[in-house]
Order: sequence, then C-alpha cells, then structure tokens
Amino acid sequence: MNGAQLSTRWSSLATLIARLILGGLFIYMGLNKALHPVDFLKLVRQYELFDNHFLLNFVAASLPWFEVFCGLLLVLGIAVRGSALAVLAMLAPFTIVVIQRALGIAAAQDLAFCAVKFDCGCGTGEILICRKIAENLLLMVLCGWLVYCRGHLLALRFDLVPNPQTN
Amino acid sequence: MKRLLLEVIIVGVVGLTVALAANALSPRGLKLSRDYFPTAKVGATNAAAVATNNSAGLIPEPQSLAAKVAARLQQKGLKLADSDQVYQLFQDPRYQQGLVVFIDSRDDTHFLQGHIPGAWQLDYYRYETFLAAVLPACMMAQEIIVYCNGGDCEDSEFTALLLRDAQVPLEKLRVYGGGISDWQSKGRPIETGPRNSGQSAPPSAVQPPTK
Repeated sequence: MNGAQLSTRWSSLATLIARLILGGLFIYMGLNKALHPVDFLKLVRQYELFDNHFLLNFVAASLPWFEVFCGLLLVLGIAVRGSALAVLAMLAPFTIVVIQRALGIAAAQDLAFCAVKFDCGCGTGEILICRKIAENLLLMVLCGWLVYCRGHLLALRFDLVPNPQTN
Repeated sequence: MKRLLLEVIIVGVVGLTVALAANALSPRGLKLSRDYFPTAKVGATNAAAVATNNSAGLIPEPQSLAAKVAARLQQKGLKLADSDQVYQLFQDPRYQQGLVVFIDSRDDTHFLQGHIPGAWQLDYYRYETFLAAVLPACMMAQEIIVYCNGGDCEDSEFTALLLRDAQVPLEKLRVYGGGISDWQSKGRPIETGPRNSGQSAPPSAVQPPTK
C-alpha cells in the first residue's frame, strides 16, 4: 500500500467517524426536542425572533425533525455533503442567536459571559455558554470536513447528484 | 459546486416535508395555526435564565417576582390569588361540594407526579383533550383557581384566558401565582397519579417542578 492509498483510507475513516459523530448527535438532539415540542416551542419563543405565531410554530415544529432527518442521512451516508452543508447552515445562525441571547442575559444579570448558563433549546439541556460555543465550533469544523473531504466508506449514496464526468 | 447546492436544496425541501409530516403525525405535534401565547411578550430576563442562575443568588426577590406576575395578570384582566387565599379555598367546605375548583394547567408527566388533591388537569397545550370534562365543573363552580409550576410560568394565565374564552365568567377565575412550587414548599398535601386517585405523597417525595 503506497502513501496515497494510506492517506485515502485514513481520510475515509475520518469521514465515517465525523459522519457518525455529527449524525448521531443531531439525531439525539433532534429527538430530544421533537418528543417535547411544547418545551422547545417555549424555548424558541424566549429568543423573541418571531412576532408571527405561525412562523414561531413552524420553526418549533419542523426544526427538530429536520435535525433528525439530516442526522439520519449522515449516519446512513446519503447525500453526505449536502446534509453536512445543511447542518452547517443551521449551526452558524443558531450559534449567533445563542451568543446574542447569552450577551443579553450577561448584561441583564451582571454576569461574566462564560458564567451564563441556560437552556438554549439545543436539545442538551442547560449548558454554559462558552462550552456551547466550543461545541458548535467543533461541529462546524466536522461539517466543513464532510463538505470538502470525500470518503465513501459505509456510505449508501455519498453523492445524491452524481458527477456526470465520473459516469 | 452546482451539484452541492442542488444537493442542499433537495435535502432542505425533502427534509422540511418529512419534518412537517412527522409533526402532523406525532400525537404531541404542534398546531401551526394556533397562537399558543396570546397577548404575551417575553421579558428580557427569561424563566430559564432565572432558574439557572438561582444558585448564584441572582433570581429576583420573591416580592418583585410576585409584583411582576400581578402586573402581568392585571394587564390581561385576571386576578392573582396568593398562597394563603388558595389554602383557605382548599380547606373551604365548598371545595368538597365542587363549588371551588382547582385547575392544573401542566402536562401529564407533571400532573401525575403530583398535584393539588382533587385538581382537574387542563394541559393548556393540549386543551382539546381535557376541556370537555373540565368545563362543566368550571361552570358549576363559584371560585376557580388555576395554577402551573409558579414563578415565571405563564401556562396558568393562558389557561385562565382559555376558560374565559370558553364563556367561564372572568370574576370566578383566579391565578395562583406561586403555583405548585409554592404549594410544595409549604408542605401542603399532594396527590399523585390521576385526579382523585387518593394516592398521596409527602412533598419531599415529589420531584421539584421543572419549567
């Protein structure tokens, strides 16, 4: 086995691990919210992002199941790059609104930013904000890895839209 | 790049469709058209944050919290019942005659874990399941006390408004601001299991309510 083959094998293994971690976590967090939709609805409401109740309900009703859906695609290895990018597109704005809310709580209660602990509606219960940010950054790195690195190990259909050049 | 974007769009569209279908099929699913929080706006310091930072001694003084709740209720045309008034009504002989009614607006899990003995359950978020049974009792009652977890919990207020909209006279309705937390903290009797199960638990055996 030459160096290039070894590198490809390691890359495939790393991609599989990244898929399992990211997918498993999203299934877990999504189910936690989907099984308690009212609790999640109340938490989403705390962000005061929507004046319209339909939009609030839409987000609270669809987001948890959408997370489960993306998590399943990642674990099964279907549309891996698209799913990872979709997860990244959710994580980035979530992280921003969570930081904004934590800043609001820190200011209102005269707390150090990293001392702020609250249930951000992320599906893991109450958490210290700095830990949440670190977690989200790590998950975003995993998403980035899955978008850019190809590894078809144990993937049912890595690319949903096949590349015409390879056919 | 085009293929990647196309894949994201497909994942997004199919995912949202699946998500909405799952919500519609789930017995706990949300109704998209329902306004779950009528005439309510969340304050800058929310319940979760207040609860979490309790350990640091940063929660508002009980007085100010009660005043905040009272002001909020007044805005909605509702009356607040304090802890002593609620206990007096609980001991009132009219309670046994069904002329004083307690309404617990929490979900099944919390209700079964422990509620005020004889209280009716009316989970605000699934009111369709309970309203038909609770409404006749409310119509017959002279006094109705609605409660939830207490503190910043607003479900009792929403339930009171729901009852008002179902033609229960507003003057009968009062919201127990302290809720089950206050009831438990004062060591008052708790009934576990379904309504009138007769099962009682010492307050220490009942899980503290969560938001």
